[in-house]
Amino acid sequence: MLKSIFPTLGRFRFTVQIVMLFVTVYGGALLGSYTVDRISQALPSLSCAYDKMTGDHCILIVNQHQLHHRVGEALAKAQDITLKVFIPTLMSVGVFFMLFFFLNKAFCGWVCPLGTVQELLYRIGRRLGRPLNRFTPANVGRVRPVKWLMLLVLVLALPTMAGMGIASNELGDPFCQVCPSRIATTLLTADAEQIAVRTSSSINFFLGALGNAMFGFVIIAALASRQPFCRICPLLSWNALFQKLSPMRLVKKEAHEKCEKCGVCEKACPMDIHEIGAEFGKKAFHEDCTLCGRCAEYCPDDDVIQIKFFGIKLFGSSRDYYKDRVKQESPAGMPKKRVINIRLAKPEQENG
Amino acid sequence: MKAKTIVAGMLLLAAPAFAATPEGKPPADMSGGHDHAAMMQGMGKPSWTLYPTLKVRMSGESRENMVTTIVPQNFVPGGVMAFSNNLDDPQGRRLLQQGMGGATLDKPANGGFHWLSAHENRDDREVVASTVHSFGERGAKDPTAMFMQQKHDLEIIPQPFPREHSRYRADEDWKFLVRFNGAPLSGQKVWLETSNGSMAEFVSDAQGVFIMHVPDDFKAEEEKAAAHNHGRRGAEFVLATEHVDSGKSWLTAFNGSYGPNAFDQRSLAMGLGFTLLGMLGAVPLLRKPKTGKKGEEAGNA
Repeated sequence: MLKSIFPTLGRFRFTVQIVMLFVTVYGGALLGSYTVDRISQALPSLSCAYDKMTGDHCILIVNQHQLHHRVGEALAKAQDITLKVFIPTLMSVGVFFMLFFFLNKAFCGWVCPLGTVQELLYRIGRRLGRPLNRFTPANVGRVRPVKWLMLLVLVLALPTMAGMGIASNELGDPFCQVCPSRIATTLLTADAEQIAVRTSSSINFFLGALGNAMFGFVIIAALASRQPFCRICPLLSWNALFQKLSPMRLVKKEAHEKCEKCGVCEKACPMDIHEIGAEFGKKAFHEDCTLCGRCAEYCPDDDVIQIKFFGIKLFGSSRDYYKDRVKQESPAGMPKKRVINIRLAKPEQENG
Repeated sequence: MKAKTIVAGMLLLAAPAFAATPEGKPPADMSGGHDHAAMMQGMGKPSWTLYPTLKVRMSGESRENMVTTIVPQNFVPGGVMAFSNNLDDPQGRRLLQQGMGGATLDKPANGGFHWLSAHENRDDREVVASTVHSFGERGAKDPTAMFMQQKHDLEIIPQPFPREHSRYRADEDWKFLVRFNGAPLSGQKVWLETSNGSMAEFVSDAQGVFIMHVPDDFKAEEEKAAAHNHGRRGAEFVLATEHVDSGKSWLTAFNGSYGPNAFDQRSLAMGLGFTLLGMLGAVPLLRKPKTGKKGEEAGNA
């Protein structure tokens, strides 16, 4: 029964993503206006606080506000940094990491609304016949440090400095001001407020302009590249700090001899993690992995790549599964049956 | 249309005056000799309305030491009641401790929304003022049940009240319910006044619900004055309604604050412009390489 509804891991993940998209974007409208105040405590997930219909709040705005209003202010006044000050911060971060402890980066690959929107755009791009732009092993290293910079500067340093009075108060939640999810999720609720740039000060204007340009870039880039914003998202680096502690993880067989010549898993990876093909064991579970499971789906050998929870296999690669999967979609995400073919000028060639 | 506005304006002007002096006496004469009432006399009288309101004042150096004081204005109640959204808490419904500066609202451990109300009884008339205060703590219980709990005879209840990270804003529509003895009052007139000088009248529908359109009445010169408040401008409003039944009259008011409209100090045109700029920056990615390669999908299939 379940297998007929969810024939592939990809279909199952996509269903979860769509459900979570509704919960994180429209949850407040579906479950009650005040849901956000309660769910945030239980599920400090990835939904934007600027979305007035959301059923949840993103952990990053909580981090920024607490550093801005609590930690920063307390440091500035040189008061005792008591548990009373730190407990709220520890609580929200702690609850988040407790959930993350169990789900690991599946948060990114299965729950994040912006991740889902980018994947949907990528699917549209495939159907429109747009090219796939990938980072090669030689140049992917240039973009990877950006997510750490985003975390350190925009999520941790500037909000704390704003709270201490060193930086402008308008830098209290700078990441949110440049995050494309703020605009994407509010537009999904037909709210145009967040796409309007704030003009009240030069800092607000600069952050707003940068955020809008980033949003515009991401939604077009997502048509021709996979998960463009995820690569620099500070949540990816936040998660990476504790990635190795989680019982949910990607496991790859040690030194499997066929991997060197294959490389299909690399092509399937939406984050261009070439290490998944070249490395083995723990090293294959890279800090950029979002646990989407595509590498395991497209590995043509039995149980070489697995997703495990407390050592129990949740999903493992298999030759039979791979054969079925590639009949539906290529590792790069190209569907076998296109819905829209914009190259109508030469239909014979396409069909031939 | 214009004539209607003038008539409505005259009614609005008359209504608060009637509310404040129901028997031709000034509000100060309505204290009734109660100790708390005596302390509360003259605590505050906003110049912008004559309806009874509850002013929430925050003081203290830090968030942790913040003291919340409730000051009744334009009437002299016996005390201020607080209703927490935690209905299971025996302390959830409590009479606040009264001081010279007003009633102090103690912050419970779980924070959340509080309904604050005070009433003044005199002979055959009851005057009630209510407002909502939230401590902004996450994880608090859903306040809907607490809001809907009957607290007075005549009530104005937000449907819903703005949640965390939200507030009443100019040019928005918000629903309210008018009830009398727990039953919806249809066709009930409700008057709105704001500290920016706007006045309006609403009428409840068959379900007792009316929609308050928050007036967009902020003036440009007030922008500088808001610099100390994270740049957030604010104004106050009060909704009031009156009901007469079996020779007794009730006046109930609900007050709160609101901010400028969503697009205040924002530019949609520039926002769209920068978004377009970002889109243009990504356009080269959509172009196919000129080489003879058939494409990524061919190699991956």
